Amino acid sequence: VTGPRLAAPPAADGGVANGPREPRRRRRFDPLPYVLVSPLAIFIVGLALVPAAFTIVEAFFRVDNLDPPTRFTGLGNFRQIFSDPVLRTTTGNTLIYVLIGTVLSTVLGIAMAVTLQHRFVGRAVLIAILILPWALPGVVEGIVWTRIWDANTGLLNSVLTSLHLVDNYQVFLGEHRWLTIFLVEVVQVWQITPLSALLVLAALQNIPGDLYEAARLDGCSGRQTFWRVTLPLARPGIAVAMVQAVIATLNVFDQPYVLNGAAPTGSSVMAETYFVSFQNLNFGEGYALSLLVTIATLVLSLGVVKLVYRTVEF
Amino acid sequence: MPGRIRHRIRPRWFGITFILLWSVVPIYWTINTSLQTEAQIGSKPAHYLPPTPTLKNYQTLLTGSGPVPGEIRQSAVNIVVECTAATIITVLLSTFAAYAFARMKFKGRKVLFYAALATMAFPAYTTLIPLYQILTEFGLVNTYTGIVLVYVSGFLPLATWIMYNYLLSLPSAIEEAGLVDGANRMQLLWHVLLPLARPGIISTAIITFLFSWTQFLFPLVLSTDLSTQPLTVVVQALQGQHVVPTTLLSAAGVLAIAVPAVIGLTLNRYIVSGLLTGSVK
Repeated sequence: VTGPRLAAPPAADGGVANGPREPRRRRRFDPLPYVLVSPLAIFIVGLALVPAAFTIVEAFFRVDNLDPPTRFTGLGNFRQIFSDPVLRTTTGNTLIYVLIGTVLSTVLGIAMAVTLQHRFVGRAVLIAILILPWALPGVVEGIVWTRIWDANTGLLNSVLTSLHLVDNYQVFLGEHRWLTIFLVEVVQVWQITPLSALLVLAALQNIPGDLYEAARLDGCSGRQTFWRVTLPLARPGIAVAMVQAVIATLNVFDQPYVLNGAAPTGSSVMAETYFVSFQNLNFGEGYALSLLVTIATLVLSLGVVKLVYRTVEF
Repeated sequence: MPGRIRHRIRPRWFGITFILLWSVVPIYWTINTSLQTEAQIGSKPAHYLPPTPTLKNYQTLLTGSGPVPGEIRQSAVNIVVECTAATIITVLLSTFAAYAFARMKFKGRKVLFYAALATMAFPAYTTLIPLYQILTEFGLVNTYTGIVLVYVSGFLPLATWIMYNYLLSLPSAIEEAGLVDGANRMQLLWHVLLPLARPGIISTAIITFLFSWTQFLFPLVLSTDLSTQPLTVVVQALQGQHVVPTTLLSAAGVLAIAVPAVIGLTLNRYIVSGLLTGSVK
């Protein structure tokens, strides 16, 4: 059937009213669906596909408002990127962001999901509180956490001093590369973990209760049940959670921008792309960087899916 | 048996406590800062409760004169206008498109549907620079229209996907009855489908609104002055100026998270269902 009509279950289809009209409808052009989808089509083509094509093409051009006109440079932008020591550092930083962020958000997400797996009084309230950090703007979260990591008035310093773990207030951000990246990434983990937890929780709720009953009858301890039943069967949810974490961490911008600024200690590739494009106005190099980040995101996401995702049937 | 019960309950309490502390402490700490004076937050160790709670910072932001409160108020107006406009347009357009995808057959249906879904696989920042150049070309940089267009283009695919799944889950027998009664298809959408699809529409609207509210890099690039800069951009800019008191900045931060926090806490049911549809593609 090519004619436009309501998709209907077979039982309701082919009624008396539909039968004879079918041939006439097939020939008549029905504009309604096209009218309904045209705004979507315009937005997708004009503000997603065309710009994406721009990024791919312009990455091979020299686009510099300070040095017009735009001209073809082949791999010039990429050569510039790979020979830039700052970008080498920020690429390393970003990989550390991805590693810490993906591992931490996945482990925490699984732990939170397991906490929420079985019904208890107040679970709905706890889920509402759990989602909270996800709903807030990343930049403001950066400001919120500045109040915790701060060297003069921060909560962490205060708690560590009260517990006599440090004698004097410490500077945590910007001194040591791994520590800076870890503390900045904790802020992003704070934001992305709720979604990971929800995704894993959804997967856990598909696991039939009989399996837990069987594991209990077989004498599995709580820990064994977790490793042999819960974790393997939650793999689809864990895979999706890890993919969203990889995408978010590879493209991390708000948190390093707020907590680290432009210092190379903890700057990310996205932050560098912003500085290159909108402060140095070297759009060509910015395009090339965007393209590389996009490709890296797609490749890493697919890699995670291949590695972690398994179809589960009950 | 008692041993097993203890064994099961103890780790759960640990997890519950962790989730509570993890989500609440950072926010509490900012609120705590915003209720103190500049002198009080300098105390070492810090005051874990405000010693003499004061709303002075909020009063300054909401009614005070001077550049900082003025910027905060203007950018609060901007963010509300931009998020509301983006949400209304996204919900409307995604509902139309989802209706066509879920209930009608037409040429190019599959291609467009998968093209829309495919754009979701790309990181948002892929199109940052070209969107800036396109908006510059059309004179839309630093306008509400430009910002809203970019937000809608970003959130429309996900919104369409959520609405599409919701409409698919509704039985089409109801519309069959409506068709027999002689209603046209837009009347069916308006009077029959949309009332039934209300939870899906609320999910879509809330998620779009929250995503718009959390934007930072796009408006940082696309808004060049206070006429369109949203609260997120302005609060961050104030943080960079060391003359702005930390307590006042914390109060501004609390204002910027108040709206999404209230939405998140009260309407989380819709967020969860929408997000789970959106992520499992």
